This record gives sequence, C-alpha cells and structure tokens, in this order.
Amino acid sequence: MIIGKAISPFGIKRRNGTANDVDAQAFITASGISGTEATAVNTLVVTLKSANIWTKMKAVYPMVGGTATTCKWNLKSPIDSNGSYRLVFIGGFTFSSTGALPNGTNAYASTFLIPATSLSASSSHVSIYNRTAGSGTINDWGTSGGSLAFSTAISLSGTAYLDCYNSTTNRIATANADAKGFYIGSRNSSTSLKLFKNAAQLGTTNANASVGVASLISPLNLFAYNPATNYSNRQCAFASIGDGLTDAEALAFYNAVQTFNTTLGRQV
Amino acid sequence: MINLKDITKEQYSLYVGLLTVEQKDSLILQWYAPDCYFNPIQDINDNWVISVEEMANCTNDEFMWVKDLPLIIYEPKPTPPL
Repeated sequence: MIIGKAISPFGIKRRNGTANDVDAQAFITASGISGTEATAVNTLVVTLKSANIWTKMKAVYPMVGGTATTCKWNLKSPIDSNGSYRLVFIGGFTFSSTGALPNGTNAYASTFLIPATSLSASSSHVSIYNRTAGSGTINDWGTSGGSLAFSTAISLSGTAYLDCYNSTTNRIATANADAKGFYIGSRNSSTSLKLFKNAAQLGTTNANASVGVASLISPLNLFAYNPATNYSNRQCAFASIGDGLTDAEALAFYNAVQTFNTTLGRQV
Repeated sequence: MINLKDITKEQYSLYVGLLTVEQKDSLILQWYAPDCYFNPIQDINDNWVISVEEMANCTNDEFMWVKDLPLIIYEPKPTPPL
C-alpha cells in the first residue's frame, strides 16, 4: 500500500515536460505559489546555480505571493524555522504581488541570521531591490554590536551608506539621487568593500581593513536597524544575505534578479 | 476622537492607534495576522502606539479591539544618526 505521494529527488515535472530545479520546487511547495511566479523562481534558481552564485547565498527572499505567509520564506532553505532564516514580520506591513511594503513607522523583518556566527569578516554581502524611493532616515538592512555595524542606508538625503564591520573608517558614503533599484553591498576580502547599484559600482572601493564580526551577535534586520530604528517605507521586491561577491558575480546577480522581477512585471 | 473608519489608506502614515500601558503589554509577541506581529512603540511624547496597518489588518479574534483604538497624529522620536 502506498501512503502519500513520493516526491522525486529530480524535481516535479512541469507541463512542458521539464522538471523544476529541486531547490526551486521546495520553495514553491512551501510557499504555495504557482504559475508565472513559480516559473520565475525556478529560472532564478537555475540561473544563480549556473553563475556559481547559489552556493554563496545564505538567505534569499524573493518576496512573491502577495502575503506575509508567502513572502516569509528563504529560498535557500524553505523551512518554517528561525534556524532557516525564515522572516518574521513585525509591525505594520502591506503585501502585494509587487512585494513587501513596510510602513516606515514600526515595521521590520527579523531574519534571525547573526553575523557573528553566520558571516565572515572577509566575505559577506547583503542585497535589496527597492521598488520605491521612500523618505526619511532609513536603514534597509542593519545590526550593530559595540562599535561595529553592518548596515545599508540607501539615498538618505541623496547619499547612500554602507557599513560592513568597521563603521569608523570603513563606511562607504556616496551620492545617490534615487533610492530605487537593486543594491548589493559586498565585502569580498578584508580590505575590499563595494556598493553596487543595478549593473554598476556606486562610488569607490573602501580598502580599509575589516575589524571582524565577533561582536555582531544580534540578528540582522531587514527594513530597519537593530535595535529597531530608522524604519523603511520602501517596497521591497527581493533581498538576500550571503558571502561576498566579485564584480562579475555582482553583475550576474543583478541580471538574474532583474530578469526575475521583469518576468513578474515589477522591475524598476 | 478620530477612529480607523474616519481615515483613508492614504492617511495611514499620518496616524497611530493610542494604547494604554496594559493594552501595550497585552500585544507584545502576539500576532495580528498570519506571520505578522504587533510592535507597540513610543512616540515623541512617550505614548504607546501601534500603526494603523496593524489595526486595519488585524484578524486575530482576541485583539479585534485594536480596530476601535483612538487615533492620534504620529510624532516620531528623533531617529539616531546613521
């Protein structure tokens, strides 16, 4: 007697006869998405694997499905647990097919990812796809510990900031008139910190040395700093955390995410 | 007194729902919608408040009273420097 359905390790076949990627299918099953969204997620995973970026990701948030229950999942590990970095939404949000919109008053998402234990002082990145510009003093990502910070603050009064393990001498602060776009803050070595916007590097490389991540024992927040302040009011259509990316990898990542959001009709 | 029914969605960001300390305590770690949790904060006058989105989107039967909270103009505490 057969009880339940066996799931093939090679994925589930789509209508055209090709199977979804196994990791994409796990996310599709967990989130319950279907149709164009499922197809776009599958293409994204296949593209990231082909570009050798997938293994550098620790948390990937496609922000699909239009509800908190669909947007919370980590594509890298779609398990409903803190240890899998599933998002918990705190405060006021509005969810739609174009992403997650925090209210800028008291809303953020906890990732449960602690830099001290999950990231490296010489290799880390965060990314965010901002569909709207927002306003005010905003941290798109953030956590702190002692004198260290790991945060992004895009287009505050026309300036974008990136801190990554040395906020005293390591901060990138560069002109940026429009907060909309896909941003990647990447540390690819202990002496190279870069901020990318869409297909290009934004500002100059900061070559001051990282001073480590050991004191960053609080989880990285999305849409606010930690402790929670500087709440975002920008709609987000993708975000990720992981190892550092090279220039070529950052470009490939942008192309993959832009294609993903274009497929979903929500690109900027 | 202004209530949730008196404002439009475009006005949500202007207002917050005013809580008593007891109400604030009762909301901590409680969900207002699937996978979304209340987050009472203090405004510049140290009033405990929640956002209008939390009030409007609340589906938790235990806390439907938040929809009847009086609304006040939101005056945030100064944000710390980046």
